[in-house]
Amino acid sequence: MSARERLAARQAELLAALLADGPAPAGFDAEALRVEADALLAKRRRVVALIDPEVAESCGEDFAPLFAEYARGNPRRDGSRAREDAAAFAAWVEARRPKRRWWQGRRRG
Amino acid sequence: MGGMGELGIGIGWRSEIDLTVERLPGVDFVEVVAENLHRDHLPESVRILRGRGVPVLPHAVSLSLGGADPVDPARVGHLAEVAAMLDAPMVSDHVCFVRAGGLDSGHLMPVPRTREALEVLVDNVKTAQAGLGVPLALENIAALLRWPDAELTEAQFLTELTERTDCLLLLDVANMWANARNLGEDPVALLDGLPLERLAYVHVAGGVVRDGVYHDTHAHPVPPEVLELLGELCRRASPPGVLLERDDRYPADAELAAELAAIRAVVAG
Repeated sequence: MSARERLAARQAELLAALLADGPAPAGFDAEALRVEADALLAKRRRVVALIDPEVAESCGEDFAPLFAEYARGNPRRDGSRAREDAAAFAAWVEARRPKRRWWQGRRRG
Repeated sequence: MGGMGELGIGIGWRSEIDLTVERLPGVDFVEVVAENLHRDHLPESVRILRGRGVPVLPHAVSLSLGGADPVDPARVGHLAEVAAMLDAPMVSDHVCFVRAGGLDSGHLMPVPRTREALEVLVDNVKTAQAGLGVPLALENIAALLRWPDAELTEAQFLTELTERTDCLLLLDVANMWANARNLGEDPVALLDGLPLERLAYVHVAGGVVRDGVYHDTHAHPVPPEVLELLGELCRRASPPGVLLERDDRYPADAELAAELAAIRAVVAG
């Protein structure tokens, strides 16, 4: 294994732990990993809220926990754009909303 | 030592505060985030500043020079084109990685301070330099965690990097202070160990303490300790320029003007 390959493996392991619920890499301080993961999540959430304030607002107080759940299952891929992230989150939220049945949307009388 | 260098005092240009940056007193130079510019046209505000002769320095965040992946020629090419369009005397990015294993961290991550990681970084920096056409300055980052197996101190790591690549140093004193506070590192020892003759310019920014951890947010006022560290630096070297970074929760113009004035006072000694 070359220096580059070894470094690649270590960096990939760290990002997987921070962004995608991967196992903690050996030797890192567990609390520091948690703080870093939270900071990265908060930054990503802020960017999405800036791009699409409406979706953030529509989630109300659930925005942060919903975004955390979305982010864990959907880490940002190399080469993806922030706008795509915001759109994917909006679609994810929409898919989770309880579907209105045809009879629920009708006016009475 | 002390006094004003050839760049002077500056502020990070952001589209949200474009008019503010244009009318703030005492803005000698600005920085733009290179990835936010298109290579075929400049924002009008940036053109106005260039028209006044204000240097505009492209600052990149996505080269991932500390990463294990080979340097992306398209990203280097974009930075070179932006620099040419701005007639910029230099460009910069960070000593960090942002991509690995197919994921994008979305923020600057520290590289392990090992010989092996330094080899890869040096190799990447040389590749980038070959495609740039203007000098490259590299910035020390704020880290919330540390790799377990450092073989070099940050000063040794940065010194060897600059010596082997001939790159310049963009020294962020707020990042130094953040690391000192969060990771127990000694910022003055770092200052004493750095090749300050390679100083391109200096970054200053604000942050906030949350749950006992200092976050370098660029969205809060500059803490007095960061200005004190800038003072320590100015006792050791004359930085060619000092630039305030503010990226969010923009305050009133007067508040930014006061921060620039405070920086100028520290630099003037």
